[in-house]
Amino acid sequence: MQSRFFLLLFVMAGLVVAFAPFPVRPIAPQERTFRIEAGQFAYSSSEIKVNPGDTVNIQLVSTDVVHGLYVDGYDISIEADPGQTKTLSFVADKPGSFRFRCNVTCGAMHPFMIGKLSVGKKVWFYRSIGLSIIAIIGFLKFPRRPVLITAH
Amino acid sequence: MKRSELLSRIFITVAVLGAVGAPLFVWARTPLIHAKVAEDGGWNPDVIQANAGEPLFLKLTSDDVVHGFAVGQMDMQSVDVLPGKVSNVTLTFDKPGIYTFFCTRWCGLNHWRMRGTIEVSGSPSDHEPALSEAAEPLYVTLGLDIDAPHDALVIPRSQPSAISGQQLAANLPIDLSTDYYRAYSPYQVFDELPNTSLTESQSWDVVAYIWQSNTTNESLSDGQQLYAQNCAACHGENGAGNGVFADDLAASGESSMQTMAGADQMTMQTPVDFTDPTRMLGASPALLQGKILRGGMGTGMPMWGSIFTEEQIWDLIAYLYSFQFDYHRGEAQ
Repeated sequence: MQSRFFLLLFVMAGLVVAFAPFPVRPIAPQERTFRIEAGQFAYSSSEIKVNPGDTVNIQLVSTDVVHGLYVDGYDISIEADPGQTKTLSFVADKPGSFRFRCNVTCGAMHPFMIGKLSVGKKVWFYRSIGLSIIAIIGFLKFPRRPVLITAH
Repeated sequence: MKRSELLSRIFITVAVLGAVGAPLFVWARTPLIHAKVAEDGGWNPDVIQANAGEPLFLKLTSDDVVHGFAVGQMDMQSVDVLPGKVSNVTLTFDKPGIYTFFCTRWCGLNHWRMRGTIEVSGSPSDHEPALSEAAEPLYVTLGLDIDAPHDALVIPRSQPSAISGQQLAANLPIDLSTDYYRAYSPYQVFDELPNTSLTESQSWDVVAYIWQSNTTNESLSDGQQLYAQNCAACHGENGAGNGVFADDLAASGESSMQTMAGADQMTMQTPVDFTDPTRMLGASPALLQGKILRGGMGTGMPMWGSIFTEEQIWDLIAYLYSFQFDYHRGEAQ
């Protein structure tokens, strides 16, 4: 009987961790400017973090050949020649993590020229950690029932 | 099979083969030009033959990065040359002569070395004089040594303003003609200003006004565009000589330098800082024209004589002086 109670408790805890609204303080959107230097075959700051609602300005500086920057999910892009800095401005209205990648063929390793845009906290990352901890406790708490194998 | 049917069958076969085959034949005969970065060989082929007055068809593709194709001194839209794609270009040359084609998208430190020639044949007598017979540039007429030092001995304490110069110049006997402007450096003009009650900074303002009155908004914006596309990668987007390639040029050492006096006399020179008044105010437009036309100077400066038209070079020069003078055209009107 007590084991059933605990089972129910664990299931409830799991649901809370998975679906409870994340305690995030509302942050006033602001304007953020990033300078990204693109060279063969990497972005010099390849990870940018913003809060949802921020206005993001990405200044793309190309240091060798023509490079581009395309943001997955947002479906926007710019292209910069060396000596001609271009700015990509957008409002980060979609939360999550997005790849940005070079969209101008810039040489042999061009497909590997990628970076990451993080909008907001990694909610599902923290939720999955919580769920894993509950699962581990659950496995340790409940002794496994012996499995009966009936032979003819 | 009736005789008429056989004839019509033959006729249709020939017509279809002709309609499909003839364009295919022309297309297959069109040379495919491969573009690679200069270190790997640049354009291949880099010499193209053509006839004056006849259209020249070209197919272009890139083997590595994004390149561009344009012909110097020709009023044409540059064509992007992309890896894995074939771009088609049709050119018609009115005059015979040797034309230079060049890469228009920055493809690395040696981007500007990516050039080739189109040899256009035809009898020059039927047409205008050939390209090579252009008038000699102003610096040659004036006998300027474009390699001599040309520092200004006095520089203004603050940026000269053309607007206040205009008011001061109203009562002065100054020469605003293009000939005068092109032949003298701002410092020379400053030095030769009639001895009046003007202070030093007021005199510089008058010089700024003379320079402003020899340029137009269109000329400045054309010059700005040319500067961004062709100069900013080394000389910097704000003219300070600190473009993205400035460090790479220094690192590559001798290979980025050229000198007529041999390797022993090579000294590393960084791209010129156009915001430096000592050098810029000591340089006349004619001197700058010579430097842009010829290039060199013991540095990796390309020669632009075969690329830019004379008008484009004057536009570019007008823009270069805007790093020194405060024109503020918007407020003037």
